[in-house]
Amino acid sequence: MAGFVTRREFLNLVGAVGGTSAALRAGSALGLLPVTKTAKALDLFALGTNSKKVAILGGGLSGLTVAYELGKRGYECTILEASHRCGGRVFTVRNGDLIDEIGNRHYCEFDDDPHMYFNGGAARIPSFHNNLLAYCKELDVELEVFVGENNNAYFQDDAFLGGKPVRIKDYKTNVRGFLAEMLAKSMSEQEMNEPFTELEAENLLSIIHSFGDLRGGGEYTGSSRSGYKTGGYTTHGVQKDIIEFRDLLKSRLGGRTMTASEGEQGPPLFQAKDGMDNIIAGFLRVVGQEVKYRAMVSAINVTNNGVEITYDQDGVRHSLNVDYCFSCIPTHLITGLDHNFPADYVKAMKYVRRGDAYKAAFQAKERFWEKEDIYGGITRMNNRSSSIWYPSGGIHKNKGVILAAYNFQGGLYHTNMTQEERIEGHIKDGEKVHSNYRSLVEKPVTIAWHRMNHMLGCAARWNRSFSGWTAEEQLMFDTLQKPVNGRHYVIGDQITVHAAWMESAIQSAHWAMEDLDKRVRAELA
Amino acid sequence: MNRMRLIIPLVFMFSLQLMKSNAAEENESYDDRYCTTCHGADGRGNYGVQAPRLAGMEDWYLKRQLESYRAGLRGVHPRDIEGVAMQPMAAKLTDESIAEILDWVGSWEYKPSEVTIQGDAMAGREFYSVCATCHGAEGEGNQGFGAPALAGQNDWYLVTQLKNFLAGYRGNQPGDTYGQQMAIMAQTLANEDDIINVISYINTLGKGI
Repeated sequence: MAGFVTRREFLNLVGAVGGTSAALRAGSALGLLPVTKTAKALDLFALGTNSKKVAILGGGLSGLTVAYELGKRGYECTILEASHRCGGRVFTVRNGDLIDEIGNRHYCEFDDDPHMYFNGGAARIPSFHNNLLAYCKELDVELEVFVGENNNAYFQDDAFLGGKPVRIKDYKTNVRGFLAEMLAKSMSEQEMNEPFTELEAENLLSIIHSFGDLRGGGEYTGSSRSGYKTGGYTTHGVQKDIIEFRDLLKSRLGGRTMTASEGEQGPPLFQAKDGMDNIIAGFLRVVGQEVKYRAMVSAINVTNNGVEITYDQDGVRHSLNVDYCFSCIPTHLITGLDHNFPADYVKAMKYVRRGDAYKAAFQAKERFWEKEDIYGGITRMNNRSSSIWYPSGGIHKNKGVILAAYNFQGGLYHTNMTQEERIEGHIKDGEKVHSNYRSLVEKPVTIAWHRMNHMLGCAARWNRSFSGWTAEEQLMFDTLQKPVNGRHYVIGDQITVHAAWMESAIQSAHWAMEDLDKRVRAELA
Repeated sequence: MNRMRLIIPLVFMFSLQLMKSNAAEENESYDDRYCTTCHGADGRGNYGVQAPRLAGMEDWYLKRQLESYRAGLRGVHPRDIEGVAMQPMAAKLTDESIAEILDWVGSWEYKPSEVTIQGDAMAGREFYSVCATCHGAEGEGNQGFGAPALAGQNDWYLVTQLKNFLAGYRGNQPGDTYGQQMAIMAQTLANEDDIINVISYINTLGKGI
């Protein structure tokens, strides 16, 4: 296929791989969005005068959910947290906070101001993550809008227009225009008319025209949607030049940019005001007294009628005997503990791969993006740093914190660098978008989840093929989801099919507690 | 309380280091538990993050490896994935902190490691006669030759290391004398089957507790 492709040839190519109906099926079968349902109050049995002890291993969101819900029903909970803080990957860094990366321990030196924070882990709440939102309401955690989609942010790719950054609206408007023009032209063909009624065809054409802002004849001749070159208020606007279609196709960033604000990353999104860890703080207001910090589990022994936990705290080895145990310790760390788990359970834990997500942030000495009409949102770059996120809060204040890099996958590239190399890389990448970037940013933090103490990984990866889960993988998942002896549960987003979201962590905790509840009701009936 | 005695000097020592380089957070003291995050409870190794056991291994060998990592003689080849993760950790260590860590490791109880690979141990035995020259007939190691014990180590770790030696991911740095020797010796193993077989034989050697 070297050489030129005409528009007709392009349409034929589309047809050859299945055409519209195949595309429609593909869209609905992607299954990227889990079914949403309204959050419901958990119907769990209240113990009353009965007594049950529970150990919760790890103060991540799923562990805190269990402590909160079982605590309400009269269970006596103890949370053993290996590190100095709760929240796991719900991690907000502010002035003075420790970033406990093994081999690269550093402290956040941002100015001490409520809006000067960085969400190093969880950063977005979709409006349909009902259980999470319900807890935010119940625990009085103030939310605000997170601006993810911002068409005024930039699109930058060295392969596109000589590396010159353009506004996302320029890229999107032109791509939509040309795509729509191709579709509109093809609509006049006899074969395309066949499957539609006259009304359907008319409406389809109307949609195509408005999708691409086409002129009457189905021509794309530019659009005011990306703003004017000059004027537009007191003088008439002068339309911007079109970016040639062939130029738009030079960038591999196009597909990612066109879909970046869809699904779970589409508006409206929320965040906890002044830092996502305010959700953790909300739980801790209720269950904080139950947490033992720097308490590192060394052994888990499941017996017929309970679980014996061994842990180290303050240089002393302790034991804790409970009726039930819920563990949100990452599976790849559980495998390093002394335990008596069944072989198939251990096999499943050994199979799960640990994610390697990486994020970095800078304090900006001034809010330079606001001078470029950018308020929140995400600049997309086709380089290793990948993104710049502008803060949704703190508008028009003197300074702000920006995300300087985000690799959800492929994070080992930066993880394997020294702190200095990471920072230099992000500055060089950012300079391609904001020419004075180097002089405008300071006080970096980097969060390499693969090396964060007591976690050593980001979102768990169950399936090894892009085409989906194998039957064997599903079997291992089912094995690990079920409790050992009805006593030991693995929880967290790691034991869902939708890792990396707070909602998943909560739903895994709910699944485990509902399973426990059946057993407790049967026992006490 | 032996453990307490070891931890306190480490806390103090690292606190001093922090004061030099960072505005340390008041509420956060350093602790020495980095080893067990990766290397598992009481340093018995963790398959989940591919970190080998430290408990029961010779202190002279652990010392040399920590020093090699620190000096950039080990854990620098980008394909040595776990070594690359270990290197920056060791780079921060002082001679004193290495000595403290070795004391701490020495306090951990050794328990036999789980057998996770199944090869032809009898075929591996023939290969092992070459290994035995330095590592000892029982895989007990020989400090005089600078050769560590193999018996008792996690078998999956030995597999990874032999592969790394063979591929040039380990033992490829000038100055890593012992590593370079081993990289040459690893060439006597032709393929992965040979590696699995020889380590299956090492698994039969066991280790006195």
